[in-house]
Amino acid sequence: MNAVAATARRPWVRIVFAAVVAVVLIVAPLALPAFANQTLVRIGVYAVAVLGLNIVMGYTGQVNLGQIFFVGLGAYVTAYGVNHGWNILLVFAAACAVAGVVGLLVALAAARLGGLAIAMVTIALPIVGVPLAKRLSEFTGGSQGISARFTDAPDWSGLDNDQWQFYIVLLVAAAAFLLARSLVRGKYGRAFAAVRENEAVAASMGISPYRTKVLAFTIASIFGGASGFLYLAAVQYTSPETLSFGHSISLLAAMVIGGAGSIAGSLLGGAYYVFVPQLTNAIDPNLTTISQGAILLAVLFLLPGGLVSLPRVVRRLARRTDAARGRSTGRSTAAPPAQTSEQNAPAHHPVPDSALDGHEQTERQDGP
Amino acid sequence: MKMRKKPGGVLGIVAVTAAVALSLSGCRGDSGGQGGGSASSPGITDSAITLGITTPLSGATAGPGKCTVAGVSAYFGAANAAGGVKFGDGKTRTVNIKSYDDAYDPQKSLANFQQMVSDNVFAATAGLGTPTNRAFRDAAISQKVPQVLVMTGDPLFSDRKQSPWQLGFVPVYQNEGAAFGKLLAKSGAQHKVAILSQNDDYGKGYVSGFKEAIQGASNISVVGEQTYEATDTSVDAQLTQLASSGADVFFNAMSITPLTIASLQKAQQIGWKPSWFLPSNTSSPTAILEPGGASAYPGIYSVSFAKAPQSPAFAKDPDVVKFLDELKKYGNYPDMPAFPHCMWSYMVGATLEKAFQNMKEPTRDSFMTALRDIKDLKAPLMLEGTSVNTTVDGQPAVSSVVVQKYNGKGYATAENFG
Repeated sequence: MNAVAATARRPWVRIVFAAVVAVVLIVAPLALPAFANQTLVRIGVYAVAVLGLNIVMGYTGQVNLGQIFFVGLGAYVTAYGVNHGWNILLVFAAACAVAGVVGLLVALAAARLGGLAIAMVTIALPIVGVPLAKRLSEFTGGSQGISARFTDAPDWSGLDNDQWQFYIVLLVAAAAFLLARSLVRGKYGRAFAAVRENEAVAASMGISPYRTKVLAFTIASIFGGASGFLYLAAVQYTSPETLSFGHSISLLAAMVIGGAGSIAGSLLGGAYYVFVPQLTNAIDPNLTTISQGAILLAVLFLLPGGLVSLPRVVRRLARRTDAARGRSTGRSTAAPPAQTSEQNAPAHHPVPDSALDGHEQTERQDGP
Repeated sequence: MKMRKKPGGVLGIVAVTAAVALSLSGCRGDSGGQGGGSASSPGITDSAITLGITTPLSGATAGPGKCTVAGVSAYFGAANAAGGVKFGDGKTRTVNIKSYDDAYDPQKSLANFQQMVSDNVFAATAGLGTPTNRAFRDAAISQKVPQVLVMTGDPLFSDRKQSPWQLGFVPVYQNEGAAFGKLLAKSGAQHKVAILSQNDDYGKGYVSGFKEAIQGASNISVVGEQTYEATDTSVDAQLTQLASSGADVFFNAMSITPLTIASLQKAQQIGWKPSWFLPSNTSSPTAILEPGGASAYPGIYSVSFAKAPQSPAFAKDPDVVKFLDELKKYGNYPDMPAFPHCMWSYMVGATLEKAFQNMKEPTRDSFMTALRDIKDLKAPLMLEGTSVNTTVDGQPAVSSVVVQKYNGKGYATAENFG
């Protein structure tokens, strides 16, 4: 196993590996059945939303219960733009920008408040958003919602609609994940972590907690807007129901289950958000709430660090068996200390890069 | 930190294996094929047909949602037990129902629809909710999958040009408002009407139907019109305004239960006692009229097209007895139905059976043709004076409703106003 790990660390292996994954992602939709593609598309949509939530909550530690509002806002802006014949790139930019500006304005006020007060302000967003969407019917289509089709595959491509949608979502989601990965690994990522751990310490190091929080919140909103754009690309319809408060809580649960403070965890969270309703529907459509609750509890009990910590837990168990074997043969082993140090590590510790590459793409494969 | 680098290797192997598996995983496109030519459509064989229902089975609208599944399951459960349904092509098939929970979330209902396509469902039916049905309308059209007899008052689903593969089942809001307007206009006596409506498509639908029906009736004048928002917690100000207009008829297009109770009480307090019209979904005798003290008014009117099993008048009605029995046996719904959707979806079952009997080929095309050609079908549980009629463009399958008057316990059909 060590030899394998060592090989995997070599740069050329990683480049080849990334290339293979990229090729698979590009080829996969051509081979998969339509329903698998549609499911992957929805996973992409919610993975981007969870990613934004992760930046503000997982990495910066600010409770945000209003992420669905920005998803809905992005979706409405997209629907409005498409129905008014805007260029699609402009629509995408507008979806991100409007969500970002609103997020910035909210954050400017909310970030002045500490801890739970931010949570309260963000709760207000979807609660205000639903009646607002119903009332501004010239923009939103009122409570009947608004349809916008712009993701039908063009004739020259020779693709089916689901394949075309897959590529759109893949493009935006891949860009979002790469950007987020660079962000949390750079100086802003360190600033986020500092603010999350202790604002006073962060301030003493010359990091303004206020600005950092506003920045994180705004970025999360932009990701929300991008997710809203993808939502419309996939669903082609939005209504006030889209931004109801309950979905915000589901997004939050998806983030925690995927793994707070982890880029790969966001993708797992998106997969969880999409798969679990499908799974519980298959078990018994009358018991979806109960079975979803049971799955949520099971994951949190068994993997408090989220799904992303699964390989770590498996490894720990493996090492424990190794250690037990070692002890029985009378040899000493270095495993126990390493094990405890890992147990003490914060659950939301960002996963280092080498884990990411492999992980992120693995879950894509697991999709269908 | 070095220890952490390990998963790259393990996961790498997993990923590569998955990638290889993926690239070997055969070709696409076996599921949900569009079945060209005269071959039968997906979801129908010589011995069975599968229908899908996506509806809220959890969350705030789970009550009516469960009813939509229970009614159809009860109807076809009984039909299957009796040997199956005889189709127009001469074959007898059993009807299977697959239900999917969308929790009133448009995104989930679309996902459920996609799942139905991959599960080889012949048609989607009976699902409850405007946004949830709208979410997959486009997809149903482009994949040519029928989405019929759905429970929404949205007229879009009954517009043939825009919705070639759709058909609504329940009356649109306009139908209800118009039924009351007609009754009022034909009364001949002078009436002054005050209107209060919810400021959205629900309230507007009722008011436009009502106004169209009283157009040209010289004996009816609208003397006051107010609106409220669905989020308002009180309509006292609007009621006081309307009371001062001296109206003797109050048309209240309100969809919110507590507000309806509060307005019934408030109008009494300020000494305004007109006759009321209430929409079908906010006119429950036990949940709204009794707590609101409705017997103080000269009349409370509402509309309906289904026999209410709770009503003593229908307790021994053969339709109702059979319905309650089948609901218990096949619909997995042992209680007295708390929502009219149970009765409605039972009628959906009867309407579908009629379409099945008339479809000449086992295709979706043939099914749609048969479904759009049902006239004056008297489905079980339908009130005298109502029927299923699918031949009129722009109208749902049931557009006829009967105005009913509250008699202190339940409702009875009102032939005349007053």
